Amino acid sequence: MSTPSEPIAGAMAFGGSRLSGLTRALGLLALGLAVFAAVLLVFGKNPLRAYADIFSSTLGSWYGFSETLVKVIPLILTAVAVAVPGRIWLINVGGEGQLHVGALAATWGALQWSHWPAWLLLPAMGGLGFLGGGLWGAIPGVLRARGWASETIATLLLNYVAILLVNFVVFGPWRDPEGVNYPQTAEFAAAAILPAFGTSRVHLGIVFALAALAMFAFVVTRTRWGLEMRAIGGNAEAARRAGIPIEAYVVVLMLVGGGLAGLAGMAEVSAIQGRLRPSLSPGYGYTGFLISWMAAGRAGGILVAAFLLAVITAGGDILQMTQALPGSVVHILMAVIFFVVLGRRAGGR
Amino acid sequence: MIGTARSLLSGAILSGTPLLYATLAEVVSERAGIVNLGLEGVMLMGAVAGFITMVQTGSATAALVAGALAGALFNLIFAFVVITRRANQLASGLALLFCGVGLSALIGGPYVGSQVAGLPELRIPLLAELPLVGAVLFQHDGLVYASGPLAVLTWWALFHTRWGLHLRAVGENPTAAFAAGKSPPALQFQALFIAGLLGGIAGVHLSLGPAKTWAEWMTAGRGFIAVALVIFSKWHPLRAIGGALVFGGAISLQLQLQALGVPVSPFLLDMLPYLLSLALLAAWGGARRHAAPGSLGRVFQRSD
Amino acid sequence: MRPKHLGIGRTLLAMFASLLLVVAVGGPDAAAQPKLKVGIIHLGSINDAGYNQAHAEGVQIMKRNLPGVEVIQVENVPEGADAERVMENMIRQGAGLIIAASFGYLEPALRVAQKYPDVKFVHPGGYKRAPNLTTYWASTPEAFYLMGIAAGMSTKTNKLGYVVALPISFFLANINAFELGARSVNPKAETRVVFTGGFLDPAKEAAAASALLEQGVDVLGVIVDSPITVVQAAEKRNAYSVGYHYLGAQKFAPKGWISGIAFTWGDLYTRFAKQVMDGTWKSENILGGLGDDYLTIAPFGPAVPPEAVKLVNAKKQDLASGKLQVFQGPLRDNKGVERVKAGEVFPLTELRKMDWLVEGVVGQAR
Repeated sequence: MSTPSEPIAGAMAFGGSRLSGLTRALGLLALGLAVFAAVLLVFGKNPLRAYADIFSSTLGSWYGFSETLVKVIPLILTAVAVAVPGRIWLINVGGEGQLHVGALAATWGALQWSHWPAWLLLPAMGGLGFLGGGLWGAIPGVLRARGWASETIATLLLNYVAILLVNFVVFGPWRDPEGVNYPQTAEFAAAAILPAFGTSRVHLGIVFALAALAMFAFVVTRTRWGLEMRAIGGNAEAARRAGIPIEAYVVVLMLVGGGLAGLAGMAEVSAIQGRLRPSLSPGYGYTGFLISWMAAGRAGGILVAAFLLAVITAGGDILQMTQALPGSVVHILMAVIFFVVLGRRAGGR
Repeated sequence: MIGTARSLLSGAILSGTPLLYATLAEVVSERAGIVNLGLEGVMLMGAVAGFITMVQTGSATAALVAGALAGALFNLIFAFVVITRRANQLASGLALLFCGVGLSALIGGPYVGSQVAGLPELRIPLLAELPLVGAVLFQHDGLVYASGPLAVLTWWALFHTRWGLHLRAVGENPTAAFAAGKSPPALQFQALFIAGLLGGIAGVHLSLGPAKTWAEWMTAGRGFIAVALVIFSKWHPLRAIGGALVFGGAISLQLQLQALGVPVSPFLLDMLPYLLSLALLAAWGGARRHAAPGSLGRVFQRSD
Repeated sequence: MRPKHLGIGRTLLAMFASLLLVVAVGGPDAAAQPKLKVGIIHLGSINDAGYNQAHAEGVQIMKRNLPGVEVIQVENVPEGADAERVMENMIRQGAGLIIAASFGYLEPALRVAQKYPDVKFVHPGGYKRAPNLTTYWASTPEAFYLMGIAAGMSTKTNKLGYVVALPISFFLANINAFELGARSVNPKAETRVVFTGGFLDPAKEAAAASALLEQGVDVLGVIVDSPITVVQAAEKRNAYSVGYHYLGAQKFAPKGWISGIAFTWGDLYTRFAKQVMDGTWKSENILGGLGDDYLTIAPFGPAVPPEAVKLVNAKKQDLASGKLQVFQGPLRDNKGVERVKAGEVFPLTELRKMDWLVEGVVGQAR
């Protein structure tokens, strides 16, 4: 299959192409919604009413919008976690595991240094989150750089290990002595909680997410590193002969990607959960992967796709509430949208 | 002691059977150059279709056929998206997973709590009498017995038939296969159909085997385990038998140890198969000769 | 970009935009206002023939008893952030009573309760309250004690087994009570516990049941989301079974069924709803027991000897009158540490602190 790769084509074409790309994307989205509307009709539901409910609950009110933002934060981070190594064609399916290890590391900090003031503790937890996730990404990175294992498989396998690790600490050494022997750690001290804005739950994590997006876009388009990454992505052999240290990039990008997912884990555990639990992530890592691919690894697309997915997942709950649809309907909606979007021909014949 | 060993082996076989079918499905798929992360969805469709058919008809055979076909047809959706529309395999697989989870939950909802006789246990007349191994090896349902021969059949089909040769050629290098006059898409569709059949059968064993029930997302990650198992087995159907036993054994071991009263953390134990797979992968990979089919490597190295 | 493609894209975009317009402009339906909207969130599927289904059925009964009450129901809500959002959305839809039907929803519910002091919340199994949040539970150890008696008198191998999801203290208390009940009639009875690590994984539950049966266990109990798999596994190997949650499981074990425990929340939920509508609702900690209508003990199966049935009924009276306490000291845990001194009783209201397994139980609590 020698079709040109999307991100390269996207990176090199600006202006008019981008606009028609957007049009096409929206058109595909409309198609997906139309297909799902047919599904709703089969259930005897009114699609217009259903979509209206979803829209008003997720974007149509301040509260709804703030809740959508809360979901968007980890999704952006895990998507960029895929997009960063994706620049040189590394496939990071390990966002879920990297997120968990980041959460684990941040939790350790929260529990160890619970007496520290927030201005010291929170950055420390953020650093730990990044390092934890980064380590979890670097391991497959090294394995790949040395030619020992495909990073796709390594990251996939490590996902399980990470989740089991979290289960282990939460059931064992870090279990909350106050609780009912329920698998969760003790509650974090107030200083360990990422503050939110106003009365909403939108927390400082949004700064991480937007900063990550902005830096990603900046580095890729405006720095020498970005240039070298694109060179590797275009033709690895030529890049190597030109003296670009490919192995170093492999490890560093996997580390950075993992670190970003780790930050998502830190944000979730600190701002939203307030403690470490096994049910920390409803698959943010995998959803982030899907977002990154839908967006062809581009920053703008990631932002849009993350919003779309946040709306869809919240929409699933709304559909249950207002349309009395069963819980499984959200999976079908997601699948329909994905299939339609992914089914587009990549770049034409 | 002997009882425990027997119990462990029996448990490994029972837990390993759906894993073996799922792994065979993924081996066929990946040998043709296609990774299916949504195998879990295929298994769920097989499980729910088989269960519902058994509830409605009471026939295990009908249930098996229904489950296998459901899996195959469901996988064809994936085939269409990935082969005809050239969508990214990994992302499409995940989409297939979500679809399978949701669809199976939807269809299966009304049938939760239904009682089925499940797959009948077939005692092999003379062999089951064997002193130690008899009860362990020869007193299972038909799918358990069939799994080994099916693995052999898969191996033979892949490595000793022309069809298998062409399929592997497509998996190694689709362009070359195409130049040689074969149709990669046609072969890949066939591979995915077969993979769907096998995945559906894996699901049937989950719902109609020892558990004899249907529950949402009852695969609980086994589809992903199968993807790991394929690597563990170096994409070889016969090695997959051993791999399934190891992974099935690991699942079974931690339960057995608990029943024995051995103080062990089930989570640390559960990690072992994955860590082992990773270690083995790294060890083999060090020889610089990937066992993976060529174009699969490209899936893993290029974004298609 | 081929122009044709652009054209299709633009057309679809226009369609979508107009759809949005219609949708945004169209107002909400004007429907008859119900007297009370009750929202309920479930951790799992309401079709699980188990825990979640029991809550769902309770709500359906409430709805039948009280016309004019509307139900908003959401399943598969993960604990944590999503739970808060869903509850809040329900309140925005007009819910006046929220049933947060899973243990892990306690903190999200408390947070939302703080934000909406006029909305009433009820939470099963919680240990913290708020002025507008009631916790309720049916204390099951007494029932498990009685099951233990029946099991202890039915077992031939003196080995009882339990397949349990997680070592949560409520479950540990149930197992302890079961073993103590069995011990009281059969000093040689021991209970082996296997934790599957999750609330629902039938294949693993079948494997766990198998492992226990291989060890000679001939009475299998179960504390997971749905009892069907384990009960079936026991029946197949001619073992006895003790059910949980879904009493319909009895039909899966016509020969070996001993008894089972289920929660029947219907009347309790009806009471809650009525109180909210009357204005008589108040925050309290409701800890029911054997005598209450939300804890139901299944009929005994044919395998239970009649002496056992008589003894169980007698002990039931003793428990009700207070003459018999389940966790009467002295009690040691299975590592030999004394947990309850002689003359003392571990109170049923403090079960959440029970993180140990009593002597006679083979298994790891932590």
